[in-house]
Amino acid sequence: MAEVKVKQESPDPVQIENRIKELCQQFPHGITDQVIQNDMPQLEAQQRAMAINRLLSLGQLDLLRNSSGLLYRMKDSQTASKMKGSDNQEKLVYQVIEDAGNKGIWSRDIRYKSNLPLTEINKILKNMESKKLIKAVKSVAASKKKVYMLYNLQPDRSVTGGAWYSDQDFESEFVEVLNQQCFKFLQSKAEVARESKQSPMVQRNSSFATSHEVWKYICELGISKVDLSMEDIETILNTLIYDGKVEMTIIAAKEGTVGSVDGQMKLYRGVNAIIQPTGLVKAPCGLCPVFDDCHEGGEISPSNCVYMTEWLNF
Amino acid sequence: MTAQEVRLCGLLLQEHFGDVVEKIGTHLLRSGAQNLRTIANETNTPLDLVKKSLCVLVQHGACEFGSGRRGPGSPVEYRADSERVLRILRYPRYIYTAKTLYGDTGELIVEEVLQRGHMTLSNTVKTVADRLTHNMEEGRNMEYSEVSSTFSKLVETHFLQRCPPVAEMGAAPPTTTPATHGAPASVAPPTAESNPDCYKLPPVKLIGCGKRRHSGDDTEDQRGGKKAKMDSESCGDEGIYWQVNFERFHQHFRDQAIISAVSSKLDQTSSEIVRTMLRMSEVTTTPSAAYTQPLSANEIFRSLPPNYSISRPILDQYLTLLVDDPMEFVGKSGDSGGGMYVVNLHRALANLARATLESVVQERFGSRSARIFRLLLRKRHLEQKQVEDFAMIPAKEAKDMLYTLLSENLVQLQEIPKTPDHAPSRTFYLYTVNQLPTARLLLQRCYKTVANLIERRLHETKENKRLLEKSQRIEAILASLQASEAEPEQLTEVEDMITAPERQQLEALRRHINKLDCAENQVDETVFLLESYIFSTRTK
Repeated sequence: MAEVKVKQESPDPVQIENRIKELCQQFPHGITDQVIQNDMPQLEAQQRAMAINRLLSLGQLDLLRNSSGLLYRMKDSQTASKMKGSDNQEKLVYQVIEDAGNKGIWSRDIRYKSNLPLTEINKILKNMESKKLIKAVKSVAASKKKVYMLYNLQPDRSVTGGAWYSDQDFESEFVEVLNQQCFKFLQSKAEVARESKQSPMVQRNSSFATSHEVWKYICELGISKVDLSMEDIETILNTLIYDGKVEMTIIAAKEGTVGSVDGQMKLYRGVNAIIQPTGLVKAPCGLCPVFDDCHEGGEISPSNCVYMTEWLNF
Repeated sequence: MTAQEVRLCGLLLQEHFGDVVEKIGTHLLRSGAQNLRTIANETNTPLDLVKKSLCVLVQHGACEFGSGRRGPGSPVEYRADSERVLRILRYPRYIYTAKTLYGDTGELIVEEVLQRGHMTLSNTVKTVADRLTHNMEEGRNMEYSEVSSTFSKLVETHFLQRCPPVAEMGAAPPTTTPATHGAPASVAPPTAESNPDCYKLPPVKLIGCGKRRHSGDDTEDQRGGKKAKMDSESCGDEGIYWQVNFERFHQHFRDQAIISAVSSKLDQTSSEIVRTMLRMSEVTTTPSAAYTQPLSANEIFRSLPPNYSISRPILDQYLTLLVDDPMEFVGKSGDSGGGMYVVNLHRALANLARATLESVVQERFGSRSARIFRLLLRKRHLEQKQVEDFAMIPAKEAKDMLYTLLSENLVQLQEIPKTPDHAPSRTFYLYTVNQLPTARLLLQRCYKTVANLIERRLHETKENKRLLEKSQRIEAILASLQASEAEPEQLTEVEDMITAPERQQLEALRRHINKLDCAENQVDETVFLLESYIFSTRTK
């Protein structure tokens, strides 16, 4: 007797797809091939592959790779609707930009990652910009460079420059004003401490101000339109240290006291310069721009130096 | 010896000793050690002039002689000392210091010794007494004993010292050391300090008082001169010559600089404490020491000046504050005796030199460039981008300032390649400031500045020579008329020989020359700080 061929009822392709979709919804992190196989053991590999391919081309499944193999994940229906009009290349570029997060990605990098020619990339980017899916943000480091990121994301600080940049321009006057205000605050605190005529330890300790106090003072002054964090104030205070007007110490503070970061607090204090402007700059030669060309008997010499003449007649 | 130093030394020698000495001096400075015959030949000066100028230089300690390079038999070689010649620039500061510490008497003693180079005690005392008596009112005389006591005070505090004894030349080696018979004769010339008696006063009693010199007294002077010579022979201290101890004065200047830095950084009381500490270690610390001797808090408390009555705990607080200060002027070296404290001399000098460099950058290039400079001093090596970020200066301006500083050699560029082929796009370029080479650079600039100021002063004098001569003649005529008691009309007639614009010109000239002199002294202060700093790093 011939073997009875058990005719398998070939399941409907649509049914397979629906089953796969249900499985995806059950496992939102993604399902592997193994899972589908376990669920529908009677399905042949070929049919399974066909169903998955159809779902992928319809844009309802996302194909991911992890360490153990391929994963299929349900695609967000919203984004699925957005991409309906786009083709595969656009979807690829969109994915690449999405991966870059809020730092944005440069067009050349997109080209490397997607292996698409430049003209295609440009067309796609223009297309997506008009559909309001992505936006271009000018980077503050190189003003000609444009990075692309998803439309609704906030650009990262490293791209816009943070509080000191407004529209890619470094706000030097703002920094200067903050500089002077901080210095005045510290100086007046030191003055008060000196006038109080207490014991020297107390005097010195009361002339210190923590970075938190300075931050509060600046916030209350209200000269800044942008919210400044304590780190911003600390960078300003650092510039005062480099001006030689302020010195800093770090003390250990209890966790939880106001303004302490990792158990430390930074204290700042206004100081005076340790010497007067030095003798060399009191002579015109100390500031002379043509100092190296000056020789006795030459065009420029001490005998006919105009700077000296002016200085002597002052 | 750099070209700038030689030029400055030449100008100083010419002003103080004349053209011949200048020629010989600069020749020696340029060519190192030479013997007499070579000097005469190369400078085309007659032998006796060469001998006289060498005498002048040796008398002032600017020239040393030693046996020749080819062994004890070769002719004596002379070597000029540029450092010593540069000290001439600082004479006004030495004299002023002596005046503030020991009054007019001290000032005149130091001035006399500086002018003559080496002098005996008796000679100095007599000359100074005579000068002081001359300036006093009629009928009062300066006692020799007063001058002697000031002299001995100067010696006690080491401001004056005996000149080192001259090494025996060509004599047979002493019999006590026959083993060194074949030893090379080029022994280093004995320094003043190696003489154990260098601060011992000779047992000479000088009785008398200064003689007033009247203006018509030439013949008397001649006889007086002879008499003075006979007097000094009988004083018993010939052969013992005294010179000014420059190192001690430098120590004093350095202490003053440290004290004023402490007082401007902290407050008056802290600077008094540091002054006390430095005073206590004046004679116990060698000039090139890095730290003073440790002093206990008890000692400091006892030695504080009586009008600064602060209590013991307050003193301890001040000392703790001084130790904690980031400038690190004072350090704590132990806990015995209530705490042992030292003054960090080398570190203080380094801080003062650093402040000098910063102030020069600030005055020349502006406060933002000074910010970049200080930033690089603190952080050592930084990239272009980091400089902009830390200093909060817009990128374009920061780049501009950095390149200006780089072109003036105040800032250096350090390349760190990432790849073996040093490709510029794959190399780190770091900006850095090296304090010591920059200090040397500024020092040379100072020398050139002082030379320029001196030349300008000479030029101004030369331009107005005619006017100056005329005014001198007028003054001489006026003086002689006054002495012979002429009538007032004659006096006014003579005075009118100088017209008003000429008078104005003279006044302007005097102001200019004063200003140039002042500027020389001010630049010399910078020179002193930088030289001390460089010297302190050399002996490490």
